[in-house]
Amino acid sequence: MLTLVQKTSQVPKSGARAALEYTGIPPSWLDKRPKLPSRNWLIFLSVTTSIVAYYVYDRRECRRIRADYSSRVEHLAKDPLGTTDLPRKVTVYGAKWPGDEDHDKSLKFFRKYVKPILVAAAVDYEMVSGRRSGDLANRIADEIKTRRRVDSGLEPPFQSPMPLPNQPTLEQKRKRELEGGIVLVGRHTLKEFMSGLKCGWTESMDRADREDVLAQELASDGRFDEPEESVVDPEVVDGEPLPTRSRLPPSQNAALFSPLQMPSSSPSKSMQSISNIPAYLDTPPSTIPTLPTLLLVPFTNHIGFRQVPNMLWGFFNERHKVRAGSKAAYSLVMSHTRPFAAPNTTVSTSEVQDSQAGGRQGGDLDFDLPAESYYDGAYTPSETEKARKTYYDALPAKLATARALARGTRAPTKEEDSHPPPTEVELRAERLKKEMRWRGDEAGWDIVKPGQPGQWDERFADALQVFDEPRANDVG
Amino acid sequence: MSFLGRGGPSPAGGVNHERIEMAINEIDMVSDVFNRIVSSCHAKCISPRYAEGDLNKGESVCIDRCVAKFFEVNKKVGEKMQSAGASA
Repeated sequence: MLTLVQKTSQVPKSGARAALEYTGIPPSWLDKRPKLPSRNWLIFLSVTTSIVAYYVYDRRECRRIRADYSSRVEHLAKDPLGTTDLPRKVTVYGAKWPGDEDHDKSLKFFRKYVKPILVAAAVDYEMVSGRRSGDLANRIADEIKTRRRVDSGLEPPFQSPMPLPNQPTLEQKRKRELEGGIVLVGRHTLKEFMSGLKCGWTESMDRADREDVLAQELASDGRFDEPEESVVDPEVVDGEPLPTRSRLPPSQNAALFSPLQMPSSSPSKSMQSISNIPAYLDTPPSTIPTLPTLLLVPFTNHIGFRQVPNMLWGFFNERHKVRAGSKAAYSLVMSHTRPFAAPNTTVSTSEVQDSQAGGRQGGDLDFDLPAESYYDGAYTPSETEKARKTYYDALPAKLATARALARGTRAPTKEEDSHPPPTEVELRAERLKKEMRWRGDEAGWDIVKPGQPGQWDERFADALQVFDEPRANDVG
Repeated sequence: MSFLGRGGPSPAGGVNHERIEMAINEIDMVSDVFNRIVSSCHAKCISPRYAEGDLNKGESVCIDRCVAKFFEVNKKVGEKMQSAGASA
């Protein structure tokens, strides 16, 4: 037994200990035992690290998925294009999500998740946004009616003011549109699109300006009539205590009303002259020309305090949206189409059955049905009613002021001098604007509300196709 | 003898120097804008390595978009300058 008397400090240390001994690190650090941080620190670090790691993983997955789909379509962008040829162009429709003040959300979804693949494949796009509920349906119906008028010869096709040498003819333009495609972002857009389609192909192809029609209707409404100040004919009044609004003492108002009646009478004349489209031209056609292929992109917008958990989930799981958007864009680029699956006709005939079945129509019109429940209750007709009531209650007072000032029966007060109150013409214009907005909102909500079935027509069955993923046996 | 413009003696042949000046300036401006577009969009959209002389689809679409954006921005800047010039 060798007893070697050695101080502990002279025992030769191994490896790292020996290497670090003379580096200037305090020796006590080199002697300590490594140990885990305390329980609380461990909890904190594990929670933070897991959250950050999940976020990083999600964003890396997004980047990977996007790069993967981009690489699959890149070869298309390298094809040469002649100097007079135009690239493929798709039209993107994004309606306003009910309840969201930002009308652009659908198109933001398109720009973030679908557009990168289209850019990689060199497919041009044109974005059309619906500013208010129902705007998109109106726009599409107007476009279809214009097309019907041009086709039946009532209107010449659109001539640009500066004729260029290489202008495509109408047939070429239509062919290019057909080859392009239509992208519908979200179920609400699909509903507005189908409603606009149905209106356009079913209603008369009259050029009816909605503002003019509404102005006519409002002019005959009697809201701007003079209130009776004294009883004019006691035997004619039915004993009603309220002044009958429709009887106007003509002597007072001839001068005031004649300029105001003129703008309302001229639209009626123009309406009558244009609505003389002969009936044989104006009947809705029995077959609809093929529409460009549709791409249905699922989209749900989470708004409101109760959907904050959904928003958080969406923030940490963007890869699902990227995958959905890229898949949709890929199927559009690769042009794999299938016919539109028509809804079950038995369900669409009776409304009672529709509401019972929760709006399920079968086929492609059920696209993204769960998304509807997220905007349930976003608009109630009662809020418009309330706004209407307050406006019409306050209107007679404003009208009286305007008329009194215009006729000179009363001198303007100091405040009215500095801030002149609205005149009668301005009040009419304001009423027209408000009524347009209210009616537009009501009509738009009628189109997209949950439970409302998408509009369908038998003629659509042959005219619509949808982009879809290639089935396994189709891929060559 | 009708005056053709604000300029001094108006020759009978219809050549007005003021109008010619204006036309020359306009041509200068338009060709300046054109040259800017060409150099800017070429730098942004066309990669320096290529194998054939034709534009491919990606470059085509990129150039379409570049020119459209350039004109829009040009118009907006022009309007802003006009309003700034009018107010100042």
